[in-house]
Amino acid sequence: MTFNEETLIAYADGELDAATRAALEAAAASDPQLAARIARHRALRARLEEAFAPVLGEPVPERLLASTRREAPLQGASNVVRLEPRARPRWSWPEWSAIAASLVLGALLGPLLPGPRPGNAPVDTRTGQMLASGVLARALSEQLASAQPPGAPVEIGVSFSDKDGGYCRTFVLRERQALAGLACREGSAWQVVTLVRSATAAASGYRQAASALPPAVAGTLDELIAGEPLDAAGEAAARARGWNRPAR
Amino acid sequence: MPAIVAELRTELVELLPRLRRFARVLARDPHDADDLVQTAIERALAHAGQLRADAPLAAWMFGILRHAWIDEQRARGRRGRLFAPAESAEEVADAAQGAAVDAIAVQDAVARLPEEQRLAVALVLVEGLSYKEAAHIMEAPIGTLTSRLARAREALQAMLGERDGAGG
Repeated sequence: MTFNEETLIAYADGELDAATRAALEAAAASDPQLAARIARHRALRARLEEAFAPVLGEPVPERLLASTRREAPLQGASNVVRLEPRARPRWSWPEWSAIAASLVLGALLGPLLPGPRPGNAPVDTRTGQMLASGVLARALSEQLASAQPPGAPVEIGVSFSDKDGGYCRTFVLRERQALAGLACREGSAWQVVTLVRSATAAASGYRQAASALPPAVAGTLDELIAGEPLDAAGEAAARARGWNRPAR
Repeated sequence: MPAIVAELRTELVELLPRLRRFARVLARDPHDADDLVQTAIERALAHAGQLRADAPLAAWMFGILRHAWIDEQRARGRRGRLFAPAESAEEVADAAQGAAVDAIAVQDAVARLPEEQRLAVALVLVEGLSYKEAAHIMEAPIGTLTSRLARAREALQAMLGERDGAGG
């Protein structure tokens, strides 16, 4: 008697009727290959259970206990899900002031401006715009998020098309006090649209985790992006095109 | 009704660890998962009258949480898909040895499953519900559930391989 995979899975999940179960067990007793296939399904199930079991032992967050135990103020319609504040205004002045409180713009840009060794600064403001230069410009033009060189001074995050069809990319400058930002291709240059200091980026290996992306950068991304971000293939294709917007 | 709600609250408190685990399978990020639990609790309390006395509370709550998750997926759209996988890669490097590393590998693999398959995995493989219960919560026929489970298992085996014997 042969057993298909679904039957073996149902056995591992405890869903077989008694007769089929007995037949399968009898067959497995004399068929090591069959026994191994069953063991594989059971092992996967055990592995999944183990992987999530520790959650049961975690202390339940106080806010969950509080809203379960007593009348928590239900904010408005409780059937609207909001996991995080998303539509934050991009550069509302209070927010900007908060950022500015920790870094005067001059202090932020100071180390970036061309110094004794012009051409090395990652941002060039001589034209009156913030344009990427040096390592930043090179990384924006050359580096793929899907293949970041280890220890690179710039980490590229998300690449995407903006609503005008131009390309933009998020980045983190590791060496310069961990600045995070977003730049868009303008002609043959990268215009830095947003640049903020990122404590998160400094603290740990920075990844494009939603929680780690500085709000100002995330907000700008949300505002500019058209459709989906580029996947690895799209990113490589855009680079091959020199980041010129595709013909329409 | 207040008495029912008070009773419901007590039972929900006991159920919180399981709800958190279920949500963690779906959402991967602990904060997002707890937000889902919070939403489900609020909805359950607001609709306490709809809970039938003979219905298992856990199944009812899984169903509510599933709907909250679906709503959230729609609302969040591209953002969750955009950021989730890279974040987990970072954790792998930082994590402790042994079981914890395997748990993270498993959680990453689950997070890469299509949503419907992930839901089937959460209900049957992690929460240990029967096919019948799981299909009911998914509002799908049992055949649909079993084929999703089979595809999920195949994908997980392909992503994870066999567990390292020693690390187990």
